[in-house]
Amino acid sequence: MTAPLSKSIVIWVMVGLVLLTLSAPTVVVLGASFTSGNIIVFPPNGFSLQWYGKIASDVGLRGAFMRSLTVAAICTVIAIPVGTLAGIALAKYAIKFERSLQVYLLLPFTIPLIGSGIGLMLLFGQMGILGQIWPIGIACCVINLPFMIWAVTASAANLDPDLELAAANCGAPPIATFFHVTLPAVMPGVISGSLLMFILALNEFLVSLLLTDARTVTLPVQIYNSIRSIITPDLAAISVVFIACAAIIIALLDRLVGLDIFLKSK
Amino acid sequence: MTGMTKSDGKQKAAVAVSVQNVNMTFDGFHAVDSASFDLDQGRFLTILGPSGSGKTTLLRMIAGFQKPSSGEIFINGAPVSAAPPHKRSVGMVFQKLALFPHMTAAENVAFPLKMRRFDATTIPERVQRYLDLVQLGSYADRRIHQLSGGQQQRVAIARALVFEPDLLLLDEPLAALDRKLREEMQLEFRRIQRELGVTTINVTHDQREALVVSDEVVVMDKGRIQQMASPTATYRTPANAFVAGFIGVTNFLNGTVKSTAGQEVIFAAGEREFIGHWSAAAGAPTVSANVVGALRAEQVRMATSADELGQCRTVLSAAVTDAIFEGERTAYEVTVGMDGNIIRVFDHDPAAHKQFGIGEAVFIGWNPQDVMIYPN
Ligand SMILES: Nc1ncnc2c1ncn2[C@@H]1O[C@H](COP(=O)(O)OP(=O)(O)O)[C@@H](O)[C@H]1O
Ligand SMILES: [Mg+2]
Repeated sequence: MTAPLSKSIVIWVMVGLVLLTLSAPTVVVLGASFTSGNIIVFPPNGFSLQWYGKIASDVGLRGAFMRSLTVAAICTVIAIPVGTLAGIALAKYAIKFERSLQVYLLLPFTIPLIGSGIGLMLLFGQMGILGQIWPIGIACCVINLPFMIWAVTASAANLDPDLELAAANCGAPPIATFFHVTLPAVMPGVISGSLLMFILALNEFLVSLLLTDARTVTLPVQIYNSIRSIITPDLAAISVVFIACAAIIIALLDRLVGLDIFLKSK
Repeated sequence: MTGMTKSDGKQKAAVAVSVQNVNMTFDGFHAVDSASFDLDQGRFLTILGPSGSGKTTLLRMIAGFQKPSSGEIFINGAPVSAAPPHKRSVGMVFQKLALFPHMTAAENVAFPLKMRRFDATTIPERVQRYLDLVQLGSYADRRIHQLSGGQQQRVAIARALVFEPDLLLLDEPLAALDRKLREEMQLEFRRIQRELGVTTINVTHDQREALVVSDEVVVMDKGRIQQMASPTATYRTPANAFVAGFIGVTNFLNGTVKSTAGQEVIFAAGEREFIGHWSAAAGAPTVSANVVGALRAEQVRMATSADELGQCRTVLSAAVTDAIFEGERTAYEVTVGMDGNIIRVFDHDPAAHKQFGIGEAVFIGWNPQDVMIYPN
């Protein structure tokens, strides 16, 4: 009789440890951002919002943040149609190049980002488009697209094929069937995929490092540049802004499609 | 049944659907094999057959989701093989309903009207009329997942009928319901079909449903149409042993023909001889041919003594091996004499009759006109 009890204690301790480990960086950085001292420490030295004031008034940071948002927006806008169509096609049809496509979906985990980054840098350099913002958005889209495709495929795999036949039976030609029936059915996947693309592009660092220069620097690169000089509590404050962005997006996701659907995606 | 052409239909009731020599093969496997039938305007046809007999495939070809390997389907006299499904005037209720989950009940019903470009100002009134028809008038704004199984059925029916199709197809939409609801919905289908007079093809593997709802029954097995007849004729005069066995509870006696006199056949099964009559739609009995005699369980009488079965020409002694009280009847299994043949017997009105117990010695009897003989 005591076995299940001790088992559940062990499980709860494990869960607690995992939660602690996962949240530790967030808690530490959150605390450190409110310090009133000049050094980044945890627990913080007193409480103040001075570092938030500092980053808000820093023109360079604000510009970098706006550029990051632009990059994320461009990336998402491209990923939505491309990823949605590819995801649906992959789930529904026996495609000729299915194998190659599946290998492509594994790419983000197999090819080091630095490799993709150098490739894109050479490509964009030859095309003479380095130094602009939009190529960075395209780059983020290219390297992260598999996540979008995955999200859509997971939704489309649950799609009842009879739904599309039913639409045809109702008199809907194929294009109307796509917009009225197929697309709404995979919408949870499209929404979660595009929000994921947005976060990934907002946070993207390594590839952007290779593709940006002083005029197009994005926020993560900007942070990296300032770390190289000196680590001050304003970095903690910026990190908190990032975390807040992610939290907003997760809240959006919960409102729009419900997190349970997102968590169920395979 | 075959050889129907467009001009033939004009004499009596117009032919609404004509299936002519339709085949469907998947990698050499005949899912539907030379299917042909005509269905008159306003009739309710049920395609009855075991799972895998090709019913859905036939229905999907009529709806246009699959193209026949050969043969042609005519709807109101026009060949439809070249028309894609969205250009056909056919409403379908799917086995799993396939209602649009992101739409309300009313939006589901309005969808065919929008797609078929009905005058937008008339759509709300028409949607309401059809929701009323299926008794869902006050559920218009419910989402699909907020409706019960039976209510979802009704939405699916309304969606299939709202654009007044030439033909309504039902692909076992009741299979998933519990028995009471299923029987209720069967009658509901019948009521709506009569009210609108829409030509209907229903698919089921439930023999009771086929008999209850239909004007005509097509029995299918292994991709082939075995018989097309009224429910009564399908039950009373099955065209072959498969139909005799698939509908009703039927005893089979395997034997060889001893002698024939017109349609009457005397055949030997084991050490006994039985009399029956040739019932196959085609052919004639020949001496020493292998045949099977089919006998419905409700045609067998049972009593404690042979004398009580005076009206039966065939009487055998038997022992009760199983007795199941089913309320409106008792279903017995008895073992006949020493050859161990098991015969199923239905005794209706058990309250007035003696109830036999397991192991009891009894006599069973029947009349030769109830033994239907088919080639084996
Ligand atoms: N697309 C298909 N490819 C291969 N075989 C199929 C296909 N569709 C149906 N079949 C086969 O055809 C036969 C008849 O199927 P179906 O029409 O669904 O039968 P029913 O509806 O009577 O149960 C089955 O053996 C099934 O496996
Ligand atoms: Mg079927």
